Amino acid sequence: MVEFERFELDNGLRVIFHKDVTTPMAVVNTLFDVGARDESPERTGFAHLFEHLMFGGSINIPNFDGPLQEAGGSNNAFTSNDITNYYDVVPVQNLETVLWLESDRMLSLAFTEKSLEVQRSVVIEEFKQRYLNQPYGDLWLEFRPLAYEVHPYRWATIGKNIEHIKEATMGEVKDFFKTHYHPGNAILVIAGNLELEEVKRLVIKWYGDIPAREKKVRNLPQEPKQTEFRTKTIERDVPSDVYTYGFKMAGKGQQGYYEADLISDVLGRGNSSRLYKRLKKELELVTEINAYIMGSSDPGMLMLSIHPSDGATLAQIDTEIWKIIDELKSTLIKKPELEKIINKVKTTKAFSEQGVLNKSMALAMNELMGDANLINTETEEYEKVTVEGIQKYAKEILQKTNCSQLIIKAKKNDE
Amino acid sequence: MMNRTIAPKTSTVTHIDFQSPEIDTLSNEVNIYSMRETDDQTVHVDFVFDAGSLKTSKIIAQLTGDLLFSGSADKTSEQIDEAIDRLGGFTGVEISTEKATISVIGLKEYIVAITKIVVDAMINVNFKPKEIKQLLQSKKKNMAIQLEKVSTQARRAFLSDLFKNSPYGDLTHLEDYDHIEQSDLIEFHKQKYLSGLQYISIVGSINDTDLNAIKELGNQFSKDNVTSIEYDYSYVPNTIHVEKEQALQTAIRIGRVLFNKQHTDFIKFSVVNTIFGGYFGSRLMTSIREDKGYTYGIGSGVAQLLETGYFFISTEVGKEFKDLTVEAIQTEIKLLQTEDVSEKELALVKNYIIGQILEQSDGAQAMMDRFISVETYGMDFSYYDDFIKQVNEITPAEVKELANRYLNWEDFTVVSAG
Repeated sequence: MVEFERFELDNGLRVIFHKDVTTPMAVVNTLFDVGARDESPERTGFAHLFEHLMFGGSINIPNFDGPLQEAGGSNNAFTSNDITNYYDVVPVQNLETVLWLESDRMLSLAFTEKSLEVQRSVVIEEFKQRYLNQPYGDLWLEFRPLAYEVHPYRWATIGKNIEHIKEATMGEVKDFFKTHYHPGNAILVIAGNLELEEVKRLVIKWYGDIPAREKKVRNLPQEPKQTEFRTKTIERDVPSDVYTYGFKMAGKGQQGYYEADLISDVLGRGNSSRLYKRLKKELELVTEINAYIMGSSDPGMLMLSIHPSDGATLAQIDTEIWKIIDELKSTLIKKPELEKIINKVKTTKAFSEQGVLNKSMALAMNELMGDANLINTETEEYEKVTVEGIQKYAKEILQKTNCSQLIIKAKKNDE
Repeated sequence: MMNRTIAPKTSTVTHIDFQSPEIDTLSNEVNIYSMRETDDQTVHVDFVFDAGSLKTSKIIAQLTGDLLFSGSADKTSEQIDEAIDRLGGFTGVEISTEKATISVIGLKEYIVAITKIVVDAMINVNFKPKEIKQLLQSKKKNMAIQLEKVSTQARRAFLSDLFKNSPYGDLTHLEDYDHIEQSDLIEFHKQKYLSGLQYISIVGSINDTDLNAIKELGNQFSKDNVTSIEYDYSYVPNTIHVEKEQALQTAIRIGRVLFNKQHTDFIKFSVVNTIFGGYFGSRLMTSIREDKGYTYGIGSGVAQLLETGYFFISTEVGKEFKDLTVEAIQTEIKLLQTEDVSEKELALVKNYIIGQILEQSDGAQAMMDRFISVETYGMDFSYYDDFIKQVNEITPAEVKELANRYLNWEDFTVVSAG
């Protein structure tokens, strides 16, 4: 059980406090309700570029990192298609230093040309390092626009291409800040061996006078129901082929989401999963096979990732995958198999929520989903799933017309 | 209106409470360390064997570890996987040069049952040819992918040149996967697993009954004396370039053989390293990322091996920035060697380092990790008290002096791939 208190400031900032007497550290986690899905199709990669700029100094403090490091703390941030999340860990006695720093950059950034110019360049190097200069690095750059036609999930957080980042202007940066970076669009989680009254006093002191702005109503183009099988083959300079399948499914917390998560476990999580046993161990058609879900807020995907064995053909592998899928749709899974995957979910959940930083992030994410207390009740949602529910949802989503498939072929070098 | 330009007062961490695990010795002389005061619902058990790649070849050590759950005379790998999964258990295999760590993670109520399955599998594994073949296929495929990365190419060239005369420089090549003998795996398993258990560590709030059950399982192995072999760690600085024509970025590794934490200069040199390239605000990050934008990241560190260690600088930069980056690194070294670090920067780094130790000791698992990282070198927690003391004491003059002693360009091997 993760206990917490919740309060809200007049400017709309939602605050969650988790008391943890066992740690000498304090965590400040700030989640902004903005991700790559909120970008303009003409300026993709902007939410992530913006995350970099948040470290370039704020209106009253020229340098974010220095004072935090001097207080014995460290920090980082990440951007996804759905959110941007910033976190700081500091010895608890120096909590106020973090609140000073974080509140000032929520108030306003310094917006220097130098910072924009350098971070554009850093992000371009990140684009190369993670997406262009790695074998299969551009897999998601290719897969997203295949699976999504209108929803902004059709581009990756890094952006569609380097040009979008190169062309970002200071005016756009300022607009982005104004629209998305304000108290009403943030969830602040504070955790540590602290008292609620003291936390309230400090939060009001540092965040209380940040002006409220109106929260932008999110009005994203919704992806129409997929009605045809999509497949795309690309050739790359890689050592071996990789196949990727994606099936559209519910967004986080929506009807069918937990069923889909368990379906992915049955199919391809770990060495006792159905696809692994059949395609890898029995038939030796693949050297690796995994299934997982994206876990996105808007309708997402259940993914299969496949590394074929030398000599195995796509047709053979595809046939066997669909046999396993059809079996899941035609025959109820047995109770012990469901219990097995629920046990794995329980272990994973308990393990991934250990430590004050993990708890803080989970509280923020769950609050964004509607209620921080989901951290305590999520396991029950999985336990409510029935074998009939799994079969029903499998029938709904595991259809060829709901599937996108990307084939990356190794370029043959005939020398 | 409050003045936001004035920073709140901070206070320095002056003392860290280190808690030693309970230590028991089994009848086979294997130590078992346990941290049982925690609220966490999972239990993490590590079995650590003298089965690192130093004791054989890199590939044999890795394959033996990866095959531990691949089945015995009376169980298939599928049965073992199924049994572990049914209890919601997870296993991990990590092979380093010096040791093999086999991890078991599970919920408190199932941990003994899971560990029983794991130990039974480890003891009775019979290395079936079919399992070996399947593993070799996926390993080889995976390695071919890794070898495409400039970061892998640079790291391999760097380590194999730096440690030419010792197994630390041993590299696995794709062809090696075609020449594996089952008998080599069986022999290594017999020597270094059945008779090579070094210690067991347990983190999680298990009761005495469960602790005793795990002890009994540990007693099924024996502990040979670790044979330490003397190697020659001398090296000749070198410059190497690995060409990859279509690469968009160049990976750079620069460094030298140095020392590990047993050396008297280790702690104070760690401060020098932090200033230079050991944290986000370091000189290298500030110059090469935050000022010039040549890279997504650059850092330096001291990698510790059981008998020695090495200093390294590591980055991936845009192809066109390679020479400029190497020049900028040289400039930063010169600066550190010729100009006193300011009191302000030094104070920041000291506070940062001590804050990091506090964070890295937060929680039962972190405390166990701290304990193991000194115990491995025959030290105890007094090392950290000494660490904090030396970090607080170091002067700008000492920083300069250590930079002059250990960061000389002519001692460095410089590798680029791209």
